[in-house]
Parts: sequence; structure tokens; C-alpha cells
Amino acid sequence: MNEVVLDCFGEACPIPIVKSENKLKELEIGDILIVQIDHSCAMKNVPEWARKEGYNVEVEEIDDGEWEVIIEKTK
Amino acid sequence: MESTKKFFNKVRDNEFYKTWFKSAWTYVTGAILLALFQIVSLASTGNPWGVSGTLATWGAWIYQLIGGSVDKWYYFSSVGAQKTLASGFLNDPGSIRNLGIIFGALLSSLLASQFKFKKIKSKKQVVAAVLGGLLMGYGARIAYGCNIGALFSGITSLSLSGWIFAIGMFFGAVVGSKLLVKYFM
Repeated sequence: MNEVVLDCFGEACPIPIVKSENKLKELEIGDILIVQIDHSCAMKNVPEWARKEGYNVEVEEIDDGEWEVIIEKTK
Repeated sequence: MESTKKFFNKVRDNEFYKTWFKSAWTYVTGAILLALFQIVSLASTGNPWGVSGTLATWGAWIYQLIGGSVDKWYYFSSVGAQKTLASGFLNDPGSIRNLGIIFGALLSSLLASQFKFKKIKSKKQVVAAVLGGLLMGYGARIAYGCNIGALFSGITSLSLSGWIFAIGMFFGAVVGSKLLVKYFM
């Protein structure tokens, strides 16, 4: 099982979601992708997209206005 | 010091605070509020909501402050535009509302404890921001409105132009996101 951190701090919508999509394609089933975000609109649409894809998703506010979206590639 | 910290820790875990200030409101809540305030705008000022037209007025005022004159400019030649320029900031509903948007946005991000100075990551971001801002501003003025004035206010005024703007904006966004992925990722 691999754990990959994707630094999207300072990136506005829709770049975090496009980057997560591309990165997730490279990963194997069971791998974990951690997307670091500080843009509140991306914090809404990245988890929304990942849940719709059927992945396990968790969002954690690591600091004021900074989030980590943890995505497990389940399929 | 210790007690204030305790107080804010208590606020942070308060359900009321979380629902009203911390979490994002739903799209439906937003839509209803936008509709209500559009009605208030139209009833109280006689004009539907607009944002970018006011920014052009601000530009003209700043230009006048440093000694310039826009009297001969076609854009400001209408009676309405001249009246707005002459009557000043405090008598222009659009200016007060834009000020409200800026302070309201600041206040809501402060209340949610999400205010942040974001670092610039690359030169590409600077180029994209400057280029995007210039194109958006220029486009909004030759189209007589942005996605608020031309789209939202157009459609809510039952004007066909709002729907045509919506179609144009949809295809523009498709092309724009392709360009974004190709050149700025």
C-alpha cells in the first residue's frame, strides 16, 4: 500500500481536482492519496467528486483554512 | 489569556457556530438568498444587481483623482453614467453594494477562521491571474455585464440576452478549462 501526498496549497479551482484526477489514475488499488488544499471551493468539490467515483474519502482541517482530503483508491 | 483561549475553544465546538459560520451553506440556501436580495436590489434601486459596471465607475473616479477626464469617452457618454460619476461614491448604490461584498466576504472568511494570505507558487500563476483579470474585465464591459449583471440579472429580468449569455458562458468555460489544463498545469 502506497501513500502519496499531493501539494495543492495556493492552487485555485479547478486545478486541485484536475491534479487529483490525474494522480489517482497513476495509483494502484488500495493506495492512499492525500490532497492538501487551502481553497474552500476545492475543499467542497474534490471530496464530492471522489465520493461520486465511489472512493473512501475523509476530510481533515489541519489548520485554519487548510485541509487534507484523504482518498483511498478502492477500485 | 488562558480564559480567552478556553472561550474560543468552546466557540469552536459550538453546534450553532459550526452550522452558521464554519460550514458552507447549501447551494439551495444560496440560491434562495440570491433571489431574495435580487428582488430587494430591484425594488430599492430600480436596477438589477451588477458588479463590474461599478468597477468601471471606480476606475473613472480614480482617473479623475489623478487629473484625468473621461467626459469624451464613449463608454461614459450616456446621461446615466454621467449622473453616477457626478453624484459621487456615497450616492451610488452599486458602489455601496460592492463595498458590502468585499467586507462581507472578508467577514465571513474571518468568522469561519479561514482567512489566509496564500503564497504565490509559480510565475505561471501570476501570468494567469493578470491575463485572466484583464480578459474578464474587458469582456465584462464589452458584453455590458459579467456573470452577475448579464447572466443572473438578465435571466431574472426575463430577458432573452441572459439565456444567450448563459450558452456563451458554458462553451467559453469548456474552452477555458481546456486551455487551463494545457498551458497552466
